[in-house]
Amino acid sequence: MRRWPRSPLFNLIEYLLALLLVGLTTGVLHLFGGVLDAQIATVGYLLPVVASTLLWGLGPGIVSALAAFFAFNYYFIEPRFTLAVQRPQDLLVLAAFLAIAVLLSQLLGRTRAALSAAQQREHEALRLYDFSTALARQQTQQAIAQTVAQAALESFHADRVEVLVEASGDFPSTSVSLPPDRSSAPDRLPTMIAPLLTARGLQGEIRVWLDRETLTPAEDRLLKTFATQGALALERSQLARSAARAQVAEESDQLKTALLSSVSHELRTPLAAIKAAVTGLRSGAVDRQSFARDEMLATIEEETDQLNTLVGNLLDMSRIEAGVLKPQRAWNDLTEIVGAAVARLKQAARHHRLEIVIPDDLPLIPVDFVQIQQVFINLIGNSLKYSPEGTTARVEAKRRDPSAIAVRVINHGPSIPEEHLDRIFDKFYRVTAADRVTGTGLGLSICKGIIEAHGGRIWAENLADGLAFNFTLPLHVKDMPPLKNVKGDE
Amino acid sequence: MKDDRPLAVHLHFPCHSSLIILTMTQSTHVLVIDDEPQILRALKTILTERHFQVTTASRGEEGLTLAAAHPPDVIILDLSLPDMDGFEVCARLREWISVPIIVLSVRDHERDKVMALDKGADDYLTKPFGIEELLARIRVALRHAAQVQAQSKSTIIQANGLEINLAEHTVKRSGEEIKLTVTEFKLLAYLAAHADRVLTHQAILSHVWDPADADHVEYLRVYMRQLRKKLETDPDQPQFLITEPGVGYRFLADE
Repeated sequence: MRRWPRSPLFNLIEYLLALLLVGLTTGVLHLFGGVLDAQIATVGYLLPVVASTLLWGLGPGIVSALAAFFAFNYYFIEPRFTLAVQRPQDLLVLAAFLAIAVLLSQLLGRTRAALSAAQQREHEALRLYDFSTALARQQTQQAIAQTVAQAALESFHADRVEVLVEASGDFPSTSVSLPPDRSSAPDRLPTMIAPLLTARGLQGEIRVWLDRETLTPAEDRLLKTFATQGALALERSQLARSAARAQVAEESDQLKTALLSSVSHELRTPLAAIKAAVTGLRSGAVDRQSFARDEMLATIEEETDQLNTLVGNLLDMSRIEAGVLKPQRAWNDLTEIVGAAVARLKQAARHHRLEIVIPDDLPLIPVDFVQIQQVFINLIGNSLKYSPEGTTARVEAKRRDPSAIAVRVINHGPSIPEEHLDRIFDKFYRVTAADRVTGTGLGLSICKGIIEAHGGRIWAENLADGLAFNFTLPLHVKDMPPLKNVKGDE
Repeated sequence: MKDDRPLAVHLHFPCHSSLIILTMTQSTHVLVIDDEPQILRALKTILTERHFQVTTASRGEEGLTLAAAHPPDVIILDLSLPDMDGFEVCARLREWISVPIIVLSVRDHERDKVMALDKGADDYLTKPFGIEELLARIRVALRHAAQVQAQSKSTIIQANGLEINLAEHTVKRSGEEIKLTVTEFKLLAYLAAHADRVLTHQAILSHVWDPADADHVEYLRVYMRQLRKKLETDPDQPQFLITEPGVGYRFLADE
């Protein structure tokens, strides 16, 4: 609340009004002069004193008390219409009246001042409450400086407020000036400066330009509070950012550790097999024409392929993580994609049966051929790896609705506990122990990355006698022009 | 691809098989351009063992100089070279030489494959590779080059139990004609004429349809499906109309 400096004229009017009230009272009392005695008038004259004090404060109250004293003496104490006093008891009445009137106006005046101060403090408290609530919401240095500047500008009706926050560590410096339209630097020194002090030292300052000489003590207190709260908020935001950074670093550390342990295990296993086979062959321990020799050579070839797949998976995953796996969409034939995937899985599928059920009238789909082929290779490959030999893996596709197709890859492998179903698409997540099955724990998360990049959804589902991987692919894609008639024969 | 170098030997032997035997016995000259010493060592050992004459270069410029000094019969080219891009080597070789170029690279992105083929490479093989696969690709490349040299554009192509008559626009299986539409036939004829070689989507679309349709891969998908239905035993698991994911198609001829 702004307290205007009171003009002398305004003061004078209050005093005159106080006197006028006494005059009015005198007039009213005088009308009934015949029937009233001095004692009644005493009480009557207390009314303007009380009223003046309550309305205009202590000064006008005292003036009104003195005026009432003289008026009472003049009009109601014998001899009337003089200020002389004849009877000693009248003197006593007058003295008592003056004492009571002054005392009363003082008491009332103090109460009024106390009330006004209380209201002022309540207002201040409310403002501070609003300020700290607003401050608590702010996360960045810029926003905090803005909030502090706004509060100072409004509270002090300042001409201009600047909040400067110095750079510390890797947090850049910030400055906010309000009002923003007067961006040029003011041509005079700020009226008040309050430092923003935190545990780390001076962080900046609040500069206030006023149209008056100085702030009242209450305003000064408020400014200091703004500074303290602002400094605390700055400290909090810096700590929060440091903590967030530390958490990211920690998570990425955990990820790296998981990656390293998985990768080193998966890299070393085939390398160990290759090394053993090669050294075995070179040592001459194995007969050149024996069955063992063929076995060892086959091992070397298979393990080399395994290593190559692993490197490919790691590359794919890093592309997905880096967000550079943008599908190169074209209108493709799902049957052909599945066929190409199956052709790549010939070796892995030699102990299983594969069944492909894709309706002939399935429309062309707007996908990246190579990426969706990779999804099928991973899903079918996973199905073959975990289901018993001699069982059938099945690929089904159908048009789910006008805007999407649904694909299922079904196997007779072991079911997965319900609580793990979502997590099998996480990186490095395995249901079985890593030592028992080869792989990086990346295949399914690559599928998820690819399907989601295509705007589809992928999930796993337990069946009565196996497991199903499901995914959807949208048929309408924003950046792809709709499929037009295929040019060719009439 | 036209080659102006006179190779009288080839012209006298229009028959494929005898020509290959001849090329092999004459000790085919292979130039390998690769900066990995291990790869050079392995290829040199194995190819020499298989009676090839092998020259190696570990830099692009060196490879270009060697190719000019002593023209090879086939070039095996890596894409990552210390002094220049493999694509550039390919393009510069193609300015004056038409021998087969087989790209052998760790880069497995389809974009790289398509680009290499567009720059004039005849085939693309990713590392790690099986040596039998590489030898097969070399054989195909040499056979194709010999066909071009001999200009032995036979009007009848026989492969996979099919008899494709380019002059009469007919396809027969065991004497029985299979009805193909005009576009289906053009597609089959183009693929079969370049048997065992990867043809990019763009090349097929430009040739069978129109250069303006080069981006309409969907035309190709639809017609390839129709063609497989008419020609393949199991259209979903094609045996000779092979998809090269992200790159194009290959007509696999039985030997």
